[in-house]
Amino acid sequence: ADAPANTGAKPPAKDLVLKGDAKCTTCHDEADEPKLLHIGKTKHGTVADGRTPSCSNCHGDSDLHTNNPAKLKERPPTDRSFKKGTTTPVEARNEACVSCHRKDAKRSHWEGSAHQRADVACTSCHQLHTAKDKVADKRTQPEVCFTCHKEQRAQVSKPSHHPVLEGKVACSDCHNAHGSVGPKLVKRDSVVETCYTCHMEKRGPFVHSHQPVTEDCGNCHNPHGTVAESLLKARTPFLCHQCHTPHGGQLAQLRGQLPNQPTATSSGKSGINYTQARGCLNCHTQVHGSNNPSATNPTPQFNLR
Amino acid sequence: EAHADDDEIAALTRPDSSVAVGVAGMSGSANDRSFFGQYNGLRKNDTNLLLDLDYIKRDDATGTWTTIQGRDLGLNTREVRFGQQKQGDWKYSFEYDEMVRYDPRTINTSLLGAGSTSPVVSRLATIGAGDELNLNLKRKNVTVAVEKWLSKSLQFEASFKNEDKNGARLFGTGFNCPSGAAPTPTCTTLATGVNQWALLMLPEPINSTTKQFDARLNYSNDKLMLSGGYYGSFYNNEYTSMSATIDGNLNNPLGNPMGGAGLSSGLRNILQLPTALPPDNQAHQVFLSGNYAFTSTTRANFKYAYSHASQTDNFASFGNAPNGRTNLGGAIDTSLYQFGLTSRPISKLSLLANVRYEDRNDKTPIAAYNIEGTKVFTNGNYSPKRLNGKIEATYQLPAGYRATVGADYESLDRSSFLPSNSVAGLSGLRQKSEESGYRMELRRSMSETLTGAIGYQSSNRTGSGWLKPNPGLGVTETSNAAIYSRTAIFPMSMVDRQRDKVKASADWAATEQLSVQFMLEWGEDQFSAPTTKGLRSSHMGFYGVDAVYVLSDAWKLTGYWSRGDQTTHVDHSTGYMAALRNLSDTYGLGLVGKPTSRLDVGADIMLTDDKNEYNQGLDASASTANKTLLATSGGLPDVTFRQFTVKMFGKYALQKNSAVRLDLIHQHTKMNEWTWGYNGTPFAYSDNTSVYLNPRQNVTYLGATYIVALP
Repeated sequence: ADAPANTGAKPPAKDLVLKGDAKCTTCHDEADEPKLLHIGKTKHGTVADGRTPSCSNCHGDSDLHTNNPAKLKERPPTDRSFKKGTTTPVEARNEACVSCHRKDAKRSHWEGSAHQRADVACTSCHQLHTAKDKVADKRTQPEVCFTCHKEQRAQVSKPSHHPVLEGKVACSDCHNAHGSVGPKLVKRDSVVETCYTCHMEKRGPFVHSHQPVTEDCGNCHNPHGTVAESLLKARTPFLCHQCHTPHGGQLAQLRGQLPNQPTATSSGKSGINYTQARGCLNCHTQVHGSNNPSATNPTPQFNLR
Repeated sequence: EAHADDDEIAALTRPDSSVAVGVAGMSGSANDRSFFGQYNGLRKNDTNLLLDLDYIKRDDATGTWTTIQGRDLGLNTREVRFGQQKQGDWKYSFEYDEMVRYDPRTINTSLLGAGSTSPVVSRLATIGAGDELNLNLKRKNVTVAVEKWLSKSLQFEASFKNEDKNGARLFGTGFNCPSGAAPTPTCTTLATGVNQWALLMLPEPINSTTKQFDARLNYSNDKLMLSGGYYGSFYNNEYTSMSATIDGNLNNPLGNPMGGAGLSSGLRNILQLPTALPPDNQAHQVFLSGNYAFTSTTRANFKYAYSHASQTDNFASFGNAPNGRTNLGGAIDTSLYQFGLTSRPISKLSLLANVRYEDRNDKTPIAAYNIEGTKVFTNGNYSPKRLNGKIEATYQLPAGYRATVGADYESLDRSSFLPSNSVAGLSGLRQKSEESGYRMELRRSMSETLTGAIGYQSSNRTGSGWLKPNPGLGVTETSNAAIYSRTAIFPMSMVDRQRDKVKASADWAATEQLSVQFMLEWGEDQFSAPTTKGLRSSHMGFYGVDAVYVLSDAWKLTGYWSRGDQTTHVDHSTGYMAALRNLSDTYGLGLVGKPTSRLDVGADIMLTDDKNEYNQGLDASASTANKTLLATSGGLPDVTFRQFTVKMFGKYALQKNSAVRLDLIHQHTKMNEWTWGYNGTPFAYSDNTSVYLNPRQNVTYLGATYIVALP
């Protein structure tokens, strides 16, 4: 075959990572910082999958950026820019992602979700040009969520907490940040159904049930962390007194606190016994419900056993 | 050649694999790290193996990934995952992970068989002289998942997760004689006129399995996305009940052995009766959900789900079930409907409407489970219907403003109350609650460097007439005036509530290097019911500031502070008026840097400072004894929790494919609380069992890891 004539022109640039990326990687090459080529390490960089994008699918053709016809000192941004301070509207940025990911069943309720309505961009949480997207790893995901959810950041450090900072439970174990049918973007259709995925023993139904338990675990628990044990929003008896007329006429009291020390005839329903240890739950142990069917005295009503 | 080194390009674009192996040592004893080691698998052993693995390979020709990942392989919180996928075609994975929670508290007891269904209680002669018992709960999960694209528009997904849960948790039993729940002669006052009661610490034995199976078929085209499938969830508990044996005598309220004949046979028998453990249960759900694009600017999403849940755990281990009942026969059918619509009719206007309706139908048969003297009553039946709706409009105003207004509605109909049921410890119930509210928000991008938002929301909850418990069974609807009692308590989830909330935030890119975030939240709930007691109001404030300062290309500094301040006012018929206040400050400081091309370093400092105040006052109805108690004791002391953590790491690249990493963590925790003891006086159970937590804990962790990239 004839050898090509040597015209002195540059050979056409070749793609480095994505299909048709040569237009971009001529500049954004291995010397570029940040390393945009790292997208090659990701699912988006898997060229054999015909669905994966080229640079321009997300960033637009960006001729102004590429050619800089006005010879500006700082090049114009890409048509669709994801940089901090970008003027590309969030909706336009997100459309770059959603146009493909709309097919994902887990994102079926993105439109109208709290994050979509609050103008959260996909790239506010996700990093694409890196092998390790922080939000996709449960050990690093919380720091991404805590960028906005600062009250939860404070709560997960309290002594009673789910192991979020320990990297064993992720925010996404309970919440679907991409939209859900339940409140607070909970992963399943309701709060109780979400909690049951790990705490199914609370589901019942029971012979003796406790109605607020069936209604919403959040009536009594704060899942993000509390000082009171068992993620309870307040200590017993004060938590229980928000619904129940208590027995006994005493104030909450501690053993060793003067002057109403227990006497040999003190009732078991004393201020000490419903304040210390497990509080009201010292006797009403079955606060989530009891399946004890015993129909002879003493029957286990009041969730006693 | 513009790109001289293909190897360099490959290194930048090829998935990375590595192994990290090392060792970690910790200071102190297991009790010194009961907070630090609650979940991370680092409580028990002073020295631990650190081993992580990432094997990630991709066949570029076919787009087939093979992944083997291991995390914390040297700890009892290990995680292993193996998966393969041909991207866009098929995928499967296996996961195994362990999670353990060590209860931060240590029990001192003479209990035998702790964690079994037949523990034996015997009085410990002296508090603190028993054996140490540390409870833990371990979960082992196996997950298998598969996925297949059947065509460009049709995808099948399925997963199965099995979780074994083993261990024990703090639990117990207690009873007071005499009792309305156990009328004479079952449980009587002693001949001497002395009440008898006992509290016992009996760990709940846990040996259960949870299985979840999810299978769905997803269809999508340009306009429609549909996902339909099945979700089954199954809970199986090896244990149905727990029965303790009480050997010998127990303590009286003074902490001495009960006098006279000691523990009465009536109370002993009651304490030895079976305690129910969570029953087996299962649920099956079929669902159809998805979205549809009417136009590029008008879309709908929807879901329908039907669930059948049941609970038929056998009653055999209890005895004494009502005639004809061998199990509860629990059956609950639930239907869920949801429809949402979003539209942008003009470029500046966005609209949203959403409605959700959940209809739970409890079909559990009614039987006379409760006998109290001559009173006979039944299990409950709970079939709530919940309706939620919202509408919202957002408009882009001139000068960079964006305004949002919205309205929300919720109704909860708890269904009719069974006339054969009993109500205990409640002054009234409500069949229906309704809440409606509105909200508004204004956002503005004030400049390229400053954006801000302020929002206000208000809602009002009210409900149907109050249902007053009858002297015997059931309830009767009663007017507010007639049900009014100065000392009545109505449930917090049913009382009228006026809720107001304000939220504001600002993001400020002060300079090229410095960006700052401010946020503020304030909220108030005012509760009302025909009483002067119960839950009265709650107030919350949360505010804080975050800052990021980029010192140079190589160094970045971050910092934050936030304060939460919440007070709940709850009053009580004994005459107390409590203002329960939680004040919590959190501080954080972080530094990351790359001082040389080979060295990465970082440090984080975090301080949590939390205080719970139990402010109590008394009204005129308080008893003399309570007035004296409060005046003398000053009420309940504050509960404080302070934790300081510093974490540092340094990672040094030895070669292109290897590095060493050092991690240093120091944590100091101080907790002052009275749950299990006050001022040196432990709370003791009736067998002298006590519970202890080291209130000042210091732990230092030092880990060294060698990391090598795999070819």
